[in-house]
Amino acid sequence: MFARLVGESFIRNPHRKLLTAAALAAGMAVTTACLMMALDVGDRLAREFRSLGANMLVTSQSDTLALEIGGVDYRPVDEGAYLNEADLGKLKTIFWRHNIIGFTPFLDVQVRAHLDAGSPSGSASTATPPDIPTTLVGTWYQHRVPVPDGTKFETGVRLTHPWWTIRGRWFNDGAHECVVGASLAKSFPGGVAPGSTLWLQLANGESSAAAGRPIPLLVTGIVATGDVDDNSVVAPLALAQELSGHPGQFRQLFVSALTKPEDAFSQRDPAKMTPTDYDRWYCSPYISSIGRQVQQVMPGTEARPIRRVAETEGRVLSRVSSLLWLVTLAALIGAALAVAATAATTVLDRQSEVGLMKALGAPNSLVAGIFLAEQVLLACIGGAVGYLGGAVLARLLGEKIFGTAARMQPLLFPVVLTIATLVAVVGSLIPLRRASHFDPATILRGE
Amino acid sequence: MYGRLLLGLVRGSRGRLLVALIATTSAAAVLSALANIDLDVERKLTQQFRTLGANLVIAPARADQAASPAATNYSGAAGPALMPESAANELEKNRTPEIAVLSPYLYVLARSKSDRSVVVVGAWLDQMPRLNPSWKVEGNWVERRDDVQRCVIGRNVARNFQVPVGGDIALGLSGRSVTLAVAGVVEAGGAEDNQIFVNLPVAQLLIAQPGEIELVQLSVTGTEKQMAAVTRGLASANPNLEVRPIRQIAAAEGQLLARIRLLILLMVLLILVLTVMCLLATMAALAIERRADVGLMKALGGSISRIVAIFLAEAGLLGATGGIVGYLLGIGLTFWMGRRVFHASVSPRWEVFPLTVAVMVVASLAGAYPLRWLGKVKPAEILRGE
Repeated sequence: MFARLVGESFIRNPHRKLLTAAALAAGMAVTTACLMMALDVGDRLAREFRSLGANMLVTSQSDTLALEIGGVDYRPVDEGAYLNEADLGKLKTIFWRHNIIGFTPFLDVQVRAHLDAGSPSGSASTATPPDIPTTLVGTWYQHRVPVPDGTKFETGVRLTHPWWTIRGRWFNDGAHECVVGASLAKSFPGGVAPGSTLWLQLANGESSAAAGRPIPLLVTGIVATGDVDDNSVVAPLALAQELSGHPGQFRQLFVSALTKPEDAFSQRDPAKMTPTDYDRWYCSPYISSIGRQVQQVMPGTEARPIRRVAETEGRVLSRVSSLLWLVTLAALIGAALAVAATAATTVLDRQSEVGLMKALGAPNSLVAGIFLAEQVLLACIGGAVGYLGGAVLARLLGEKIFGTAARMQPLLFPVVLTIATLVAVVGSLIPLRRASHFDPATILRGE
Repeated sequence: MYGRLLLGLVRGSRGRLLVALIATTSAAAVLSALANIDLDVERKLTQQFRTLGANLVIAPARADQAASPAATNYSGAAGPALMPESAANELEKNRTPEIAVLSPYLYVLARSKSDRSVVVVGAWLDQMPRLNPSWKVEGNWVERRDDVQRCVIGRNVARNFQVPVGGDIALGLSGRSVTLAVAGVVEAGGAEDNQIFVNLPVAQLLIAQPGEIELVQLSVTGTEKQMAAVTRGLASANPNLEVRPIRQIAAAEGQLLARIRLLILLMVLLILVLTVMCLLATMAALAIERRADVGLMKALGGSISRIVAIFLAEAGLLGATGGIVGYLLGIGLTFWMGRRVFHASVSPRWEVFPLTVAVMVVASLAGAYPLRWLGKVKPAEILRGE
């Protein structure tokens, strides 16, 4: 009986129902889109923030003081401690391995360079000056690191230093090739162009057996870093290791990881946490917990956040996401208003119907029940349509802003339906209260 | 007569007009608050990005630098490419509001008492906390730039030299030496952890180059365009110096800002569309309600254009009232959101006011558009109650 009443009431006057459902659908679509964006924005922006480069620096715990000025280490090659290249694959075995976007080892070697344009077979050691003292930065551009689980992980400065730009092409790992920093290139008489050959010799090489013999490198490009690395020669890590006599070793590791912004919880000292809190900290992608995990797989190292990058990322991320939540709230308010307004007019518009029902002896509760059931039905339809529309909208927005579509969040579906129902029911409660005070006689008389 | 009719309409509408008024007011409040926030978000975010530290470097032109290559610069024998300290003073004196903070830098490779090499950085220590807001300091910063007794050291220096806050550190270079008290230990998570920060005169004394500096670092706020303008301005003011953005920071910052800006703009636009749609729906519902009134008026001999004019005036009035009240509420909302998100107040813009009222009036009028159909209404039918 009740169902039939509701059903008939629902089918009658389809225009008005359509209006309410459309309002609900539009409101819920915008709310869904906002919710999806707000839920997703942390991950998205964290990825975008990787354009700032690495946010963690790993060095040896027992290292001596680096004499680094503007990105170049002036220590002799025999001083200080080194890290093992063989350990690097283990970085992709930590708990948060999927959050590690990339990592790049660096080994700086002080060298003397001279140019030998054209005759690679020329008598290198007796080549004419000028011999320019510079730094050989050994690193990876795109290198496949074997991971203990048998897979390979491709990483290098392409991922950790995305702002480095190249004229020409990057060197191939394993080849005798190099790229030259833009300002260093200018300091050679006549300049260096891709295709020239550069001879490198260890600067204070009396300790190494290979010191006296310079090695020829084919220049494949000119690199612009906008940093003091512009004054150096960038070459494959293996070459720098060979030249410095430290095979399989490096000094610094830059890690670029997706992290969660620091909060009050992450600032606490892990050593003083309760076991439950420690587990929670360990299993959250804070930069400090990822650093801890890196130290665990690479013993003897020290992983520290590059504060400048980590801090900015955290601040901007938390600001933007709280702004998005507020915007979502605004969307919700807008949707609630629309639905409440249409619901209110629906009830007001159907006064005569209410009057008739009451005159025929329907109790207030039945009248309210019919109206509410109708609103809930509308809310479900409007909410479902709105959810689908919102998902499409979020996809489009995600593609427009970040280049990739936002993830579908099926979990949001019941949430959106609940919100729609709540909004519709609350919106019709006030007019229903008024309807219960209607005097059937007055209404039926048409006043 | 016209005014009285309008007044009568407003008074006679019971709750319906109130519902519509609440709808327009809250729509206007949300609209104006979002517009205010959106207009200010870029400025607020660029300020957040200043935790990245310096984004512009002024140094002697590269041609000079190449003449004395990097590696020999710090051995103490050959002098690095230097510029006069007066350039930094000049910059600070003529500072534009975009330049948040600046400091000269002079790098010296000095030796400690135990004959270990260490990088000493001469700078204006009073500017350091603002230039590098992300650094964590244990102890204190040195607050005056003429304080030649104290220094701030990186955490690796503190660990390797085993000097705590309050300890002494002795530095020397080719016979010249100084002893400084450690005011604080900083953690930066980079090369700075291995450096000792002293005031400029100390570094100049060590390297025996009074009045000389190596470069100036600046932290410039603003959008990419503003940054470019500042860079150009500085370059033309200092023709023999090279002004270059620190690419890592400048490029990433511009790119990120553009993304975030677009994100917020699109979401705000979405909500604007939604709000206007709500308003349309509300006004349309209100107009349909008015059928009986229209029928009566027509039966009494009112011309349809006149009737429509009255209802449009009603809708416009509603929109304007909602717009004005909503804008005022929106100011409060703007302040609250600013506090909540940026921990600083977002100043409301005056240009949002006419915008809000205009949007509200236009939306209300558009919502009343279905009244047009009332021209076809037959008074008898309506009055009969159908």
